[in-house]
Amino acid sequence: MATLPRTRPRNRRLVSRNTVAGWSFILPNFLGFAVLTLLPVVVLFYVAFTNWNVFGVAEWTGTANFRRMWDDASFWTALRNTVYYAVFHIPLTLAAALGLALLLNRKLRGVRFFRTVAFFPYITSIVAIAVVWNQLFSPEYGPINALLGAVGVDNPPGWTASATWSMPAVIIVGTWRYMGYYMLLFLAGLQTIPAQLYEAAETDGASPWQRFVHVTLPGLRHTTFFVTVLLTIESFKVFDLILVMTGGGPGQSTLVLSQYIYQKGFEENQFGYASAVSIVLFAICFGITVIQFMVNKRRNS
Amino acid sequence: MKRAIPAVISAATALTLVLAGCGGGDEPVDPNAPVTITLAGWSLASTPEFKTLADGFKATHPNVTVELKEYAPGNDYDTQMITDLAAGTAPDVYVMKNLKNFYTYQSGGQLLDVSDVASGLGSVPALASYQVDGKAYAVPYRQDSWVLYYNKDLFAKAKVTPPDGSWTWDDYTDAAKRLHTGLKGAGSNATGAYQHTFQSTVQGFALAQTPNADLLSGDFGYLKPYYERSLDLQAAGAQPTFGTAKTNKLTYQAQFGKQQSAMLLMGTWYVATLLNQRTSGDADKFQWGMAPAPQFDKSTTGTSATPVTFGDPTGLGINPKISKSKTAAAKDFLKYAAGPEAGKALAGIGITPAQVTDAVTASLFGLDGVPQDDLSKFAYAKHTIKPENPVSKHTAGLQNLLNETHSAILSDSKGVDAELSKAQTRAKNEVLNQ
Repeated sequence: MATLPRTRPRNRRLVSRNTVAGWSFILPNFLGFAVLTLLPVVVLFYVAFTNWNVFGVAEWTGTANFRRMWDDASFWTALRNTVYYAVFHIPLTLAAALGLALLLNRKLRGVRFFRTVAFFPYITSIVAIAVVWNQLFSPEYGPINALLGAVGVDNPPGWTASATWSMPAVIIVGTWRYMGYYMLLFLAGLQTIPAQLYEAAETDGASPWQRFVHVTLPGLRHTTFFVTVLLTIESFKVFDLILVMTGGGPGQSTLVLSQYIYQKGFEENQFGYASAVSIVLFAICFGITVIQFMVNKRRNS
Repeated sequence: MKRAIPAVISAATALTLVLAGCGGGDEPVDPNAPVTITLAGWSLASTPEFKTLADGFKATHPNVTVELKEYAPGNDYDTQMITDLAAGTAPDVYVMKNLKNFYTYQSGGQLLDVSDVASGLGSVPALASYQVDGKAYAVPYRQDSWVLYYNKDLFAKAKVTPPDGSWTWDDYTDAAKRLHTGLKGAGSNATGAYQHTFQSTVQGFALAQTPNADLLSGDFGYLKPYYERSLDLQAAGAQPTFGTAKTNKLTYQAQFGKQQSAMLLMGTWYVATLLNQRTSGDADKFQWGMAPAPQFDKSTTGTSATPVTFGDPTGLGINPKISKSKTAAAKDFLKYAAGPEAGKALAGIGITPAQVTDAVTASLFGLDGVPQDDLSKFAYAKHTIKPENPVSKHTAGLQNLLNETHSAILSDSKGVDAELSKAQTRAKNEVLNQ
């Protein structure tokens, strides 16, 4: 048994020991994060105000990069395309993921198999996805248009080979790829809703639709919020899928902000300008997330 | 504490100066001392040219070892090289795959002045592209040019007269359509022509051949007739559409090598690939030939005239961070690589060197599987080659923009005029004003 006067130093020792232990646990990860993410991000905020082009010195140019962006039609095209992608990708994926989760949250034979199947696109290599979907979408020889032709569509779309249809094609593949992942989150959410609530609703004579609206949806509110935030950020920074599927084309029809940043930075070596565009992208993601948090908070209270 | 900081700084400065003094090395260099220089290359296992150059140089300079450093193939090569140069870890000698990024390297101070090497090379036309303010910053060791490859067997099958060196683009378009009809009639699925998805398959020729065409003027009207012919061939089914080539990831090697198309416009680097693939079985064995690229008008057609085509030289430059004791060896290497001896050695593995001499042509046409007709030799050896990428600050930006225009025109219905005028506006507002 410890006597009173000895408690304080012992407590302090315990605290410092815990602190050291805590730090040593997160240190490996934090070091990697600091060197590979945090430091570059901080530097990026400086580079965005310079004309750095890889070689030589970065001259301070103030807000010149941002003023250039204001008049840059390609930047606006990229922003428009990013919003186009997000506006369709977010609700479609949300609905598809929720639908799948509801379907696969029952006791039926082989449910594990179907859950795995739904999750499969998410773990498939994105390059493989792009190659296969591009062949499926092939306007003249692809099975999708063959199918459309068979059901009587006279003028099937050109998909990734057409400036009008390339974005819808990319959105379809994006939704297909990510719905499995968000389905998993929804499944976890569904399992936290107490079964008694459903039983009570049923006893009160609520229809399945009423049960969905008044029990399932409120029960999933936290999950839905989390999924929406993740989906929004993921949609705005979409890059790899589009790069390998269409490369931003035809023309600039699927050029999105991340790819524009890549183009300006790594292809044209205008790192100052590319950094400025990434700050804008960051601000957009950050702003939307803050708004979502505020809306969520208001609803909570 | 506060006083310690300036002390540390001055100590560090002193140390740096001492170290720099040591590294400076003003003592005379023994020309026969063993030296190792490093050279950048890509896909070393399947690209023998770097080893050919290294071994060939070793034969005449036994004290110098050229060590190869492998880089990524394709466009990633430049990204990696630029990163390594900026970080100070690049090899002593590196390759400029084309002229698109030469400006970036040169204006960034990443190339040593090699005027002394260049002046000893005689008249190599491609040298001009590497001159800035009267100084040379690289030397060419390869100079590919674009020619028309054609499948003699498929021409015979379709009963179409093969090219004779007199073709303008209208003749080419006409032949492609007649091949399409003829091959279909003979029960073959092969198309008359294959136009690969590269922007240069249209824009390279248009820029090189059209009188007064200037990429940097931002006036792209010269592209119009060339695009109209491509669209015409696509619509007629005489060549796979751009969309099909893209979505199905068609390769030109398989299209021509597996006899899916009777004609292919491609650079002379394809000769080596085709020969290798005939041996490995990736390409069929058929009678083929090379003809000069179709011309803008009749003034440059016929074997008594000199046809105009395009192609960027591939150059070698020296990293300015090379240690002084190695500079002489590196310059000797450049002199060798751009000279006639290396030229013959490169031609021996199917590579087109910077200077196509009679010896080079003889060496290349001595390879097994290369056609022996006079037109092929003429197409290979005689032409005016204009650069695909005229060197300037704006080249990379303009070419990226025109690459988007290329896919927009070939895949959609907005029309050539609308897309070209959009490209011109973008060039003016987004690239040329920078």
